[in-house]
Amino acid sequence: MKKVLMGNEAVAYSLFINGVNVAVGYPGTPSTEVIETLKNFKDDDFYVEWSTNEKVALEIAAGASLAGARAVATMKQVGLNVAADPLLSLTIVGVEGGLIVFVADDPGPHSSQTEQDTRNFARFCNLPVFDPSSPKEAFELIKPAFEISEKYKLPVLFRMTTRVCHSNQSVEFEFKREKKKVKGFVKKPDWVILPALSYIKHVELKQKLQNMKKELSVYNKIEGRGKIGIITGGVSYFYVKEAIKGYDDLFSIFKITIPHPLDEEFILEFVKDKEMLIFIEELDPVLEEEVKLILFENGRIISTYGKRNGYVPFAGELDVDKVKDILNRIFSNKLHIKENTLTDILQIPKRQAQLCAGCPHRNSFLVVKYATKGQDVVFTGDIGCYTLGFAKPISTTDTCLCMGASITMAQGLKIADASKKIIAFIGDSTFFHSGITGLVNSYYNMHNITVCILDNLTTGMTGFQPHPGTGKKIYGEEGKKVNIENIVKGIGIEKILVIDPYSDFTENVDKVREFLNTEELGVIVFRRECANLKSRKSYFKINQNCLKCKVCINVTGCPAIDEDENGSIFIDSVLCKSCGLCKNFCPNNAIEKVMENE
Amino acid sequence: MNDIIIAGIGGQGNILLSRVICQLFTNRGFDVKSAENIGMSQRGGSVVSYIRVGDNVGPIVPDGEADILIGLEITEAARNINKINKDSLIILNDRFVKPKNSELEKQQILKYFEKNFRKLTIINACNIAFKLNMPKAENITMLTLICKKGILHFSKEEILTVLSQVLSPPMYEMNKILVEKVYEKY
Repeated sequence: MKKVLMGNEAVAYSLFINGVNVAVGYPGTPSTEVIETLKNFKDDDFYVEWSTNEKVALEIAAGASLAGARAVATMKQVGLNVAADPLLSLTIVGVEGGLIVFVADDPGPHSSQTEQDTRNFARFCNLPVFDPSSPKEAFELIKPAFEISEKYKLPVLFRMTTRVCHSNQSVEFEFKREKKKVKGFVKKPDWVILPALSYIKHVELKQKLQNMKKELSVYNKIEGRGKIGIITGGVSYFYVKEAIKGYDDLFSIFKITIPHPLDEEFILEFVKDKEMLIFIEELDPVLEEEVKLILFENGRIISTYGKRNGYVPFAGELDVDKVKDILNRIFSNKLHIKENTLTDILQIPKRQAQLCAGCPHRNSFLVVKYATKGQDVVFTGDIGCYTLGFAKPISTTDTCLCMGASITMAQGLKIADASKKIIAFIGDSTFFHSGITGLVNSYYNMHNITVCILDNLTTGMTGFQPHPGTGKKIYGEEGKKVNIENIVKGIGIEKILVIDPYSDFTENVDKVREFLNTEELGVIVFRRECANLKSRKSYFKINQNCLKCKVCINVTGCPAIDEDENGSIFIDSVLCKSCGLCKNFCPNNAIEKVMENE
Repeated sequence: MNDIIIAGIGGQGNILLSRVICQLFTNRGFDVKSAENIGMSQRGGSVVSYIRVGDNVGPIVPDGEADILIGLEITEAARNINKINKDSLIILNDRFVKPKNSELEKQQILKYFEKNFRKLTIINACNIAFKLNMPKAENITMLTLICKKGILHFSKEEILTVLSQVLSPPMYEMNKILVEKVYEKY
């Protein structure tokens, strides 16, 4: 069949077709759809789950692999940092069944804290890395990735970037699963990592990388015969192809699909008749540095253009126009490869990222903000939709570092600046991911902070994945439900408050103010289902009492309320989720409820 | 015709619309590629999809090269004019959600489009979807009208086939009724 597949879907289809037995991951844009797609497939020898974090996921995949199963762990680039501990050890221990670590990088970045480059991780932990350019290629490379992993008994990194993960392409394939028999766990001393063994295996590991170079080299390819060599990889390959259209005779392209380990002979062969080399790649100069090393070691001197001499930007993603600009700079505009387009362009300001209309987090943030009015407070934030608590006019997030860090940074702040009240915000999924250990630490070491767990009963930002607090498993079937309050109590924390952020605002403010009166470790759970999960039965509108004071807009920042050209206030009936927050702030009783279909 | 841009705000069904159009072309035997900006709480934020008919290209439409701009929201359409040229076809949904820090009003933007582009069509998909009691289906309403008006040459049957391929059965049933009604009434 011929079907339009997103890059991540293509990976999922190919994993299933190639007999993956165990698929685990933690959601994170742009990696999420691999597991989301795999969950649609069922077979008696196939298991898929959302794990509580990336370290957990990779360790499950490792266990399955040791029993001979084909396994995949999926995550985004920052998730790989969480899973780095098992990954680096796993390179020493090795695997049995093919193990793919799927990592989505995010040049831009579009929805990440960092622009880190997983190809560097491959160099760092001595692993082969596949770097496909398109969904179709990603589909084709899963099979060899499993085979290389099984042959060399090593995990394999499968790295894609946003523009491959989230681009779609028509892919032709037969949806037929190749079953892999799982032979079961066989006891071997190899599976126990010990310093003495680690040294021996490190030597072996370097040898393995050396051995696989030639074999992996077949996935790299050379196009054209021009004297100017462009070395590229990933999605940049297509940008290059389009940018040099019409100048094909001048250039030749070396597309590197396996950035690590690189085969010296192949590179030297390509470079042989070249007059100059241009490196076009996103993020770090991985290809540039690897190739330059090879050239240096072989006494080959050639002029190069890339990131290291400032021709290619280090940060942000590339596109065809940027590659054209780079080439124009290198050739001092002699190629004229960019045409002028429209001259009269409207300048439109960016839409500020903001919490959705009806988001219960907006209510929770405002409750805490009002309850602490006039006090010296620091709000530490975390990773998730609610990171947007920093946006005006909510302005209730002063720090954000990485998953789980709100609770732990709050403790550091409290130690260093004891006079301030410190309030940490964390979401439900993030709490399970890496918030729990921080909370244990604050109880054990007696750090008196307040932790607000914003529980919207889903993993909102990545598209509503279930987690332990929902009690639903990946197919929507029943799992065991983990109650957040019970965890908090189990740690030993007695000061707990549970609040529905949609309930009476003033009452909630009073409750929280009273809760914050005593200076001891406490947890407030704000619980209300994500506004995007429930269909509404009513919405709000502005009536004739409105005096256009704009308090509703200025306090809540709700995207559903705005003023029109004449300065009249209106509520967008399509966007409104009927949370009623705005009504609390209207001094003139001008906001009223309308029932749906009336 | 090679390149299409779909611009809108998060929650309007931009991504699904893009997927449906890709599958329409695929079913006709074309190779397509597309890309989209999603993630980081884009509901209410800018969302843009690029669709490219043809295989040997990258996923992002280069500046000035889009043949069609489908604007699910007027401001977002205007944000992407660097991707089109004077001869591009522009189809706008009559929906305006002003960015909080913008001074530009709906009429100003519409005037700009009228002044600079010859091939402009405005479609009231938002209102029609709302009237048909499916406010979330302005994307499919838009597509149906674009095809019905002959701007994209796909038949009602082709649209329904693709919707059955792309949507879950209950979603398909709802959208099928919508497509039928739009063909009948508008």
